[in-house]
Amino acid sequence: MSRFTLDQEIRLVQDEILLEGSLVEQAILNSVDALQRRDSVAARRVYNNDRKINAKHHAIENHILITFATQSPLASDLRFLAAMLEVNTELERIGDYAKGIAKVAMRLADSDYAIPIREIQQMADLATSMLHRSLGAFVAGDTVAAHSIPEEDNQVDELYESIYRKIVEGMIKNPDTIDLGNQVVWVIHNLERTADRVTNICERVVFIVSGESVEFDVTDDEQIDEE
Amino acid sequence: MKSRFHLRILWPFILILVASLAALALLLPLVQGSVFQQAAETGKQANYAPLFALVFLILAIGLIFGLLINIYYTNQHLNVLEDLTDAAKELGEGRFTEIVVPEDVGNLPEIQELAEALQKTALQTEEQFNALTKEQAMLSAVLDHMTDGVLIADENGKVQLLNSAAERLFKVENEQAIGRSVVEVMRHYSLVELWEKTKNGNPETINMELGSAHKYLQVVGISLEKDLPGRTMLLFQDLTQTHQLEIVRRDFVSNISHELRTPIAGLKAISETLLDGALDDPPAARKFLVHMDNEVDNLTQMVNELLELSRIEAGRSNFEFQRIEPCLLIHKAYDRMNLQAEKAGVVLTEDCPDGLPPVLADPVRISQVFINLIHNAIKFTPNGGHIRLTAWRDDSKVVFLVQDDGVGVAKKDLKRIFERFYKADRARSGGGTGLGLSICRHIVEAHGGQIWVESEENAGSQFFFTVPATAGGNIA
Repeated sequence: MSRFTLDQEIRLVQDEILLEGSLVEQAILNSVDALQRRDSVAARRVYNNDRKINAKHHAIENHILITFATQSPLASDLRFLAAMLEVNTELERIGDYAKGIAKVAMRLADSDYAIPIREIQQMADLATSMLHRSLGAFVAGDTVAAHSIPEEDNQVDELYESIYRKIVEGMIKNPDTIDLGNQVVWVIHNLERTADRVTNICERVVFIVSGESVEFDVTDDEQIDEE
Repeated sequence: MKSRFHLRILWPFILILVASLAALALLLPLVQGSVFQQAAETGKQANYAPLFALVFLILAIGLIFGLLINIYYTNQHLNVLEDLTDAAKELGEGRFTEIVVPEDVGNLPEIQELAEALQKTALQTEEQFNALTKEQAMLSAVLDHMTDGVLIADENGKVQLLNSAAERLFKVENEQAIGRSVVEVMRHYSLVELWEKTKNGNPETINMELGSAHKYLQVVGISLEKDLPGRTMLLFQDLTQTHQLEIVRRDFVSNISHELRTPIAGLKAISETLLDGALDDPPAARKFLVHMDNEVDNLTQMVNELLELSRIEAGRSNFEFQRIEPCLLIHKAYDRMNLQAEKAGVVLTEDCPDGLPPVLADPVRISQVFINLIHNAIKFTPNGGHIRLTAWRDDSKVVFLVQDDGVGVAKKDLKRIFERFYKADRARSGGGTGLGLSICRHIVEAHGGQIWVESEENAGSQFFFTVPATAGGNIA
């Protein structure tokens, strides 16, 4: 097979990944927006849209496997395709986080529980901005950005801590809020996990360019999520 | 290609031929004569060798001349042709101004014509090129100074053109974006969908929000099939500001409706009570009327303040600036509010240092700021509290301070209390319109100053505002 076709296939997959990334990014933002406006219709839309993301995930997976089978890529092409397979999975997971937030937004739509929405929006903006830039670094092979983006994870963690404390204080003062407060903890947990997934994408960027597997320092415990 | 034979090129040869023949005709009789004479004298067979020699000689001379002439002319023409070729090459490379079409092109009219034609082409091409360059410069200037983003993609979804507004919007640079896919440049599925839809179809418009930057865009997709086959253009209009103004306006309308409804509902309740028989009970009726009067006062105050606010905001309010002593402003405010403070059981003190530079201010407006601030301070300071008025110089401005030891402002409200209708504590502020601080801010800003607040809950508030000092020293 000619070099031209392999290049073309890689570019097509890359565009699909970016498209999936944009769907996921918007899903996170829309879910938080639905939470802010207590709009159960918008939340349901995000919830149902996850099917679209999953379909995209499968299509990309197929595309990459077919490219492996027919083009026998080598060296950097092989690394790039393998990394895209992984990034594809990360994006699908982030899509699930958006779905989770949408689910909470549906439950909270009719309540008057005081959500610390400004901070949550700040967290969502930060996480999606990191996601956006990490995918940009991914296709550009920008290792400088790949090293600097995970550092912003600390800000996300700080926001998580402060919102968490606020919610728990609310629970202690008013035990009636324990149920809904817990729901909101899920929202910030999902946003925090989103930023961690972005760190994984950045690790892949370094892998593509240098072939080295690095582990960026993620402060929290990865195992908790995998049970 | 036309194949023609130009008889004209035979002329030199005919000339040489004629010259040779003429030479032959002239010399032959002489030679012939001497040959035959010699033969007659010697009685021998005539020797023809000199004759042949002569003919050969003349032919050889003719031939050499012919060749020389040929070489001379051909060389001359070749030189001219070479020059013309060089000129044509330069034309091809676009160096119009450097083209030198040789002036002396010999006497062949064909070459002359060629040279003239080349000269003309050079001039015309230069004109067209300049016109095109100018047009292109004009178009790219328009594109780059447009506030709307423009992006053109080809049939494979590769970006072909991107103006600077679009560069800023998507945070990409032109060199990086050209030739990349629309997905890679715009990074938003709605835009890719719009591109796919309009590629072969009718123009379409969408409204969308762009990622974590929260930019609101109106995007129009137009197929350029007619002029540029396969190309699609996307136009981006940034509506973020309009969108935010829309939200502010919506909040404002909902606030004002709410604020007006409260006194009107009160009036309605009182008038119904009066109609239902309270009118027959004069003492009660009187009490109700006093209530009504209060409510109407509230409404009037609110409408007046709204009008005042809209006048100041629109910049139509007339300010009469004059040089005035800051302490005079403080003293006037103290005089006006002291009685009210005493009634509320709050101690109002003025504490103005000497030697402050005069400020450029409208005394009526500034005293309105003081009155609003002191009024608020009285309202939020419990019995036995203190309110202090003071001022000091800070560089080229004078800072005024209204300080109380009242209930203070909650941290979450600090940023918002200067907004229209914002009431930090609805229960306590009761009768106020929520416009006072907003008016203060506008008046201070119209003076070229700033207003801000520092406060701690239950420890009091400090409202600061600045007014620029006038140049020069104290007023004598």
